[in-house]
Amino acid sequence: MYYQQIYLFMRRLGHSRQVSEDLTQESFIQAWQHIGQLREAKSLSGWLYRIAANISKLYWRRHKLKKAVSLEEFDVPGNRQSEPDNLEHSEQLTLLKKAVAQLPMKFRQVLTLHYLQHLTIAEAAEAAGIRQGTFKSRLNRAVTALKNQIVAESGE
Amino acid sequence: MKEEKLEKLLTELADATTEPVSPGLAEAIKHQIPQPLMPSKSSTGTINIIIDLRINRLAAAAIIIVTTALFLNFLGSRDSPNDGLYKESKLLIKYCLGVGDSGRSNLLNDFEQHLINRGTEVVCYGDSIPPDDSHALLMHWKLADGKYKVIFGNYREETVTAEELIELQAQMLQKK
Repeated sequence: MYYQQIYLFMRRLGHSRQVSEDLTQESFIQAWQHIGQLREAKSLSGWLYRIAANISKLYWRRHKLKKAVSLEEFDVPGNRQSEPDNLEHSEQLTLLKKAVAQLPMKFRQVLTLHYLQHLTIAEAAEAAGIRQGTFKSRLNRAVTALKNQIVAESGE
Repeated sequence: MKEEKLEKLLTELADATTEPVSPGLAEAIKHQIPQPLMPSKSSTGTINIIIDLRINRLAAAAIIIVTTALFLNFLGSRDSPNDGLYKESKLLIKYCLGVGDSGRSNLLNDFEQHLINRGTEVVCYGDSIPPDDSHALLMHWKLADGKYKVIFGNYREETVTAEELIELQAQMLQKK
């Protein structure tokens, strides 16, 4: 359901649970108020995410001093891998979470839209408000930045 | 770390960062939606959306689809695609696309009745008006300020004076 997707999107962009709920509500109110601007029903997903992304951006602008919630703070029951052969995998995920959280918001957003929210390139580009070519380029740079961040994190 | 592996891990991170949503969130969102825009199970509610929002028929069709999709999808409604809201929307789309005369006739009748029930003296020009005719009058009613609201065959609406209404009616008669 869309409201669940938008809520998780907000959480993955670093907002706390309460703020994510508030921003999700705001996203849907904005969607209703501007629904006449939606050109085709098939682009609903990208359009909704774009509204949500703008609302998130506006929130961070207004609350510059607030710290983004790290992905590590996600309380995911059953995510702990107890078998030894899964320990390395679990550690990799933990490292990845830390690395994503350290990225600039521009990169965190494109990674979240495509890999975590599972949007297609077309939908994610629309959500980000940029052309597909630009999105792909930014996504590639985000992945490179992420790789460098992982190296930096694992070297600590 | 190889890029392929990184991309695979990123996709897995989605599952790792999924958490349950507060059960009250859907209700909270629903309460924020202005009542006149709530899709109702009656055809009159749907047409009311079009009139209130003052949009052309294709945009109206898109809005009805999206409205239905939004409500059914993002709030987890129990309505199935065969029930009320979807049926209503499909019927309206058929009308807007000029297909299915029986549905169009029902919608017009329902809307006329809705206006009458509201105390509005509405004049309908019959369902023989082609849905793509942007100049033919479909219906009109008088507003409180003495002007007239006219709806054309393509659901375009305008507010006109009495003289302009007479002119529009004359043009229709000349075409016949």
